[in-house]
Parts: sequence; structure tokens; C-alpha cells
Amino acid sequence: MPSLLRQTEQDKKNTPHSLLPFLQSQSQNTLTRLYQRPSSCLSIFRLLAPLERQIVMNLLWLESAIAASTMAAWVQRDGRKLYEESLANLSYLHILPNSAAKLALNFTFKTSLRQALTGGGISGSFGVPAEKDDKQPGPDIEALDSFALERWETILHYMVSSGTGQNPTKPSQGVLFLLQRSELMNSFYGGPLQITSAGFQFLLHSPHAQLWDLLLQYLHLAEERQMDLVEVLGFLFMLSTMDLGREYSIENLSTTQKAMLEDLRDYGLIWQRRPNSRRFSPTRLGTTLTSSSPPLPTTTGVGSGPKEGFIVLETNYRVYAYTDNPLQTAVLNLFVSLKYRFPNLVVGMITRDSVKKALMNGITADQIISYLITHAHPQMRKNNPLLPVTVQDQIRLWELEKNRLKSSEGYLYTSFTSQADYELVLNYAKQLDVILWENTGKRCFFGSLEGHSRIKEFIERRTQNPNS
Amino acid sequence: MDASSHLSVVLDLPPAQWHRAAHHGLPLSDFLSHVLVFLHAHIAANAENSLAVFGAFPGSSTLLYSSADPVPEHLPIHPNSYPPFAALDHAVNRRIHAHLDALDDSSADPSALIAAITKALCYVNRLSLSPAANTNPSAERDPSVLPDPRLLVLSVSPDLATSYIPIMNSVFSAQKLKVTIDVCQVFGPDTVFLQQAAHLTGGSYIHLERRDALLQYLIMAFLPSPAIRNVIAVPTQDKVDFRAACFCHKNIVDVGFVCSVCLSIFCQPVPVCSTCRTKFPIKTLQRLNQSRPPLPSTPNGPGATTPRSNPGTPRIGPGGTNGTAVARSVSTSATTAASGELPHSSTIGLGTPNGNGNVGRSLSMGTPVTNTSPNGTAR
Repeated sequence: MPSLLRQTEQDKKNTPHSLLPFLQSQSQNTLTRLYQRPSSCLSIFRLLAPLERQIVMNLLWLESAIAASTMAAWVQRDGRKLYEESLANLSYLHILPNSAAKLALNFTFKTSLRQALTGGGISGSFGVPAEKDDKQPGPDIEALDSFALERWETILHYMVSSGTGQNPTKPSQGVLFLLQRSELMNSFYGGPLQITSAGFQFLLHSPHAQLWDLLLQYLHLAEERQMDLVEVLGFLFMLSTMDLGREYSIENLSTTQKAMLEDLRDYGLIWQRRPNSRRFSPTRLGTTLTSSSPPLPTTTGVGSGPKEGFIVLETNYRVYAYTDNPLQTAVLNLFVSLKYRFPNLVVGMITRDSVKKALMNGITADQIISYLITHAHPQMRKNNPLLPVTVQDQIRLWELEKNRLKSSEGYLYTSFTSQADYELVLNYAKQLDVILWENTGKRCFFGSLEGHSRIKEFIERRTQNPNS
Repeated sequence: MDASSHLSVVLDLPPAQWHRAAHHGLPLSDFLSHVLVFLHAHIAANAENSLAVFGAFPGSSTLLYSSADPVPEHLPIHPNSYPPFAALDHAVNRRIHAHLDALDDSSADPSALIAAITKALCYVNRLSLSPAANTNPSAERDPSVLPDPRLLVLSVSPDLATSYIPIMNSVFSAQKLKVTIDVCQVFGPDTVFLQQAAHLTGGSYIHLERRDALLQYLIMAFLPSPAIRNVIAVPTQDKVDFRAACFCHKNIVDVGFVCSVCLSIFCQPVPVCSTCRTKFPIKTLQRLNQSRPPLPSTPNGPGATTPRSNPGTPRIGPGGTNGTAVARSVSTSATTAASGELPHSSTIGLGTPNGNGNVGRSLSMGTPVTNTSPNGTAR
């Protein structure tokens, strides 16, 4: 459905980055300390919406405050609402202090962003590169990519195959704890970890969204662990501005940040030769943190298929997935009943049972459809609409089927002695608007729980005093 | 997050003009540092934003930097700067110096601005031929690959009458590629042709009034992508000089004569069209000759073609009228501004110079330009 596709793209444009609400909830003091680092300012600037970025830029090089009305004079009539929203968002982030008359950027933010753009200052917030070591040259970009991919897919694969009886490689203890904390996985009565419905939904997200989901949990955790949030965020932002394929020294990192190295290594954001090495290299997972696309090497398995998509869906509900990646196969297995497996191809059917199984796990029809759309094979992109309408509609119908029965508590009123009695009580109940179902032939009706006491009272009054 | 965008920048770098500009308070080094910060701002907005910088030198033009270039291995990383910025500065500075050093002193060629613009358009075209478009030639050009590409021309050269036809050809290809051409005349007189190029492609033309505030001009007027321009207005010209250059003598003409077959423009009635060899009846020629104005349009030098009424008096602030009225006048299209008695100032100043000491940053946009022949190019 092209309209659906457009809808999701629209959503992507309008929804702010998942980190921004977290930043907005922080105190002004925390944010101001964060804004002292040019690299953090640059990264946060990137996360803003386009209009917010333009407002910041317009004000960045002005020395003094300008009247709000002067700025507003540039806004087109249609854009007023958007403009006001942007100003509000900026004030929540304490980038643009809220003021009716004058507009001026937060001084710390302004100074740091200027430094970021001009490359001045002495903060060293973009990472201190390590001395070149000729004996042990750093890993090349390919090695970094495959490392990041392996780490990330280990986590996802562990999630997807939990409870299926397989024993995939376990991620480290820290990752397991984080998965449990974020309620993506849960252990029931001390048993092994099981994936939750939130976890199933998580699997269908884009890698970029998945990464930030986990990192947000990590940030929440950091608050509890008494780690300095500014250091943690600053380090993540520093990673996002680093150059892929270079080695950086850990000399200038704070104690908190050194402690983070181990966690980030587990997630695949950085690479280190040895756990106690004096240098580290950011991977693509790390350097693309604040960019929109192309997110991660995880979009395809190593050496499998074309880069962008691999799924072909036919009108007869058959799914051909050109992949040899066990993770992608496992994710497909969530809502497709797989039939054959070849070295580079998996064939399956979307059936009522397979979709119902997915729905039971908490996956929605929209998530299935958007997963199929984002991973559609290039050949499929010729079709308009991209997915066969029959299949899309059927998946939605199956979801509706699940909602066919609606239960509500109440009382059944039956065995009225006469039709007149029945109608009297029925009319009274109708006035109260508590009737859920009625059958005149059988002289019975079903009323909701709230109305019961009043109907009971009414009937009692009638039986005691039939003539009134 | 939002989609990336592409920006191509053409820097006009003839040494003679820059020598003159340095005497008017804008040396080349200052200019470059302003422009580089502006380019940083473009890259900073989104990690996927692409950038290409072209330089126009006397008699030659070249690609100075492209974001697709591999980062040179030996370039040291500085802990205080974002690596892509450093790579950009390094490449642009190094190549400009190399080219200026290689220039022959005696060469008096005009700046190859048009060649650079054409190269920039070719570059955009190559980008838009993405791999996806290649595998599927029947499909429309995928808008997600290259949304709203833009071309910014920072010119210091005066109009070159011989360049009319190439400029118009570039404009047509830009329209086809859906490229917006923005023009900033940093120094020197207004250029008629670039003004038309900006107008025809929906871009913005600015004649720099305050050279010390170049960066603020660049950021406010040329940084927003077309999507943002729908919300925050950018200055467009009130009046566009639509005059064309004739095909026969390459003069800019107020009244031209157009071949009815191939639409070639001439400064005087000709019996035979030089382009398509169409012969015109002698009666028509006589009638046209009689109807010519008593003072035939003399060949104007390119520098003397744009009489500006009352230049250099920027009116500061939305004084006199209310704020919205000024904002409207900024965004009025050129077609509405025909009558000669309109107030010419579309100037919006940010901040008042008599007040809080932000004189150096105050911004005044828009250039008062009258058009001597309001209704178009030729009859």
C-alpha cells in the first residue's frame, strides 16, 4: 500500500529522535555541563529537526539577543505553528531559553557549537588519536564491520532463539542484564531468559532504532549505577563524531568512560585488541549513532544477497527470502511458516497459524507489514503497491479476527413471568443504558455490571408493590 | 531523522577582482574562512549531507572538494575538530593555493564561472544517476536518492555578455534536474544573468551589502533547504532584470527583435535570421525599423547595465510598516514589482545598529534594483 509507506516515512520525519525526550527530562545543570563539549553539541545539533537546526544556525553567530518579533517576521504564515513548536522544543533542551521578547542561544551551547564548527578550543572532545603503532596496525574497516556485526547479531540471535531449545552463543553478562532490565527478555520463576512481547517488537525495528533502544536503557541504568550521566553521554557523542578505521587513545578518558569501554565492546560499538589495551577503535555502530542512514553493517549478513532487501512476497502468500543469515531466518520464522531451506534461499508461507502465532507474541499486523516493506527485494520495488494487496489485507483481517470476541462482565436476567413484566424491566434498563444484549422471544436480556444493583432494586420494588 | 541533501558551491576566484575586493574590506582569506564555516554548517546538519566545491579561475575551472573524495590517509586528526571539517578545509585551501600559484600573470581571461557552474550541474546529474536508477531505467528518478539538490554561486565577476547563452542552457538543465540555483554577488555590480538564473530556478539572489556579515547572510539565506524555506522565508529579489543579450553582438538589450521561427534575439531588425536562415519580408523590416524608439538601444557595457536607484541605503528594521508587511515584501515574486514608484527597500535588519552594539552582525537583505524595461526581454 503506497499510502501506508508514505505514512511511515512521514512518521519518521515527524517523530523526534528517541534520545531527545530523555535529554529534555534532564536538569538544566546536567545539560549545561554536557554542552561544554563541542562534540556533544554537534551531535545534539544533528538530532534536532531541520527547522530547529535552522533556527539555531540563524542565531549562532549573533553576538547579542534579537527581538523575537524580528525573527518571527521571517516565518511564512503557514509555518507559524511549526515554528512555535520548534522554539518550544529548543527551550525544553535549554538550548534556547524561553523568553517572550528576546531570542538568544544558551551561552555554553553557543560557544561550544561555534568551536565545533570552527575547530578551535582545547577540549579534545572529538577524541585524541593514538600514536601510530607500526608493529600492530589497527584493524581495517572490514574487520571492524564484521566485529560489530558479530557482536550485534549475537545479541539479536540470542533473543530470537530463546525458548526454542537451541543454544546460541550467549552474550556477556552485562548485555543479558540490560536485556532483562529493559524487559525485552524475562526469566520466569528463575528459569532461562525468555523473550517478551516487547522483545518481539524490538526485533522488527531497524537496527538504528534497536541500538538507541538499548542505549537509552543503558543511560537509565547509568543513572542508577551512580555513573556521571554527562560523562556517559559525552562519550557516546564523542564516538559518533569519530573517524571510522582510526585508533584513539584512552589516555584522556575519565574513569567513568574507561569503565564504559567494556560495555560498549560487548555491544559492538568499539573494538579493542585486548581488554586492557591503551587504545580503541570505534566501529560503524558507534560512528553512525547520530546519522540517519545507512545505519549499520547489520542490514545484511556477511556476504549474503543484495544490500538493501531480500524478501519476495507473492500473491499466493509464499515468501522467498534470499538470505543465508541465521538471524534473518529466525526473525522471519516469527511470522512465516518456513518450508524449505537452501544455501542462499529460504522459502515459506504466510499462513493463518503463523500470523496468529506472531500476534500472540505481541507483534502487530502493521509491524509485520512494515518489516516486509523495509526488507523487500529490489525486484519487488517495481510493484505498485509494493506488497500484494491481498496478503496485506489478509494479515490485517487475521489481526481483526483476534479481536472478534469481546468479553464484558454482567448479569443475565431471565424467566420473567409475563411479557409485560419483561418489557417493564427492559424499558427501565434501556433508560439506564446498561443493556448489552436482549432477546424478546426468550424473554431475557443481559445487563452490564454497573446497572445490576439498580435493576435488582427496581424488580424488588415491583414485586413488593405490584400496583404502584 | 530527516533526509540528507546535496549542496554544490561554486567559488568565483579571479585574482584581479579579489585584489579589488581586498581594498573594499573583504580579502580572499576572510571570504574563504566565512565560506568554510558555512560549509561546515551544511555538513554538521546531517552526517549524510553531501557537498561539492568548485572553483572558477581565469580561463579554467576545477573541482576543489567533494564529500565523496577519500580522506587522505596522512591527514592528522586533531582532537578538537571534527575530522570531515578538517579534510574539507585542507582540500579546499591546498587546491586553491595550487591553482593560484599556477596562474600565469599575464593571462587576462575572464573568470570561467560558467564552466564551473556547468561542471557543478554535471556533478549533480551524476549523483542522481544512482545505482538503483541504473538497474531500473524505466523508473522515475528516485527522489530519496538526492532530495532537493542545490547550487550556490558565490560570484565576484561582472556579467560577461558572451555568457548569456551558456547561462541560459545551464538554467534549463538545472530546471530539468530540479536544482535550485542560489546566487550571492559578493563584490562588484549586480549580475543580470545570474539574477535571472536564481529567479528561474526558484533560488535566492543576494547582492552582498555588508561584507563583514557574509557568514550571517550565507547561513540565513542559503543554508535552509527548500523544505525549510516553506516555513522560514529567505530573501528573494523584488525586481529581476530580465534583459537578454542579443545573439548578433552579445549586447544586453532593452528592446530586442526575436526571430519568429527559432526565437533568436537580435538588437536590430535583420533581413535573414543568422541562426535558422529564415528570410523576413522587407515590409516587416521597414515597419519594425520605424517603430524603433528614437534613441536606439546603444550597446551597453555589461557593467553599466543595471541602474540602481538609491543604492546603499539599507533601511533598518521593520520600521514604518509592521513586521508582516515587510516579510511579505521580502517574499514577493519579481513579477509583481513592475511599477517604478514602489518602495525599493526590502531590507530587514536583525538588530538595530544604534542600539546594543551588534552592528557587525546586523543583517540587511535585498537589493533595490529597478528595471528599466519592466515588461520583459523583447518585443
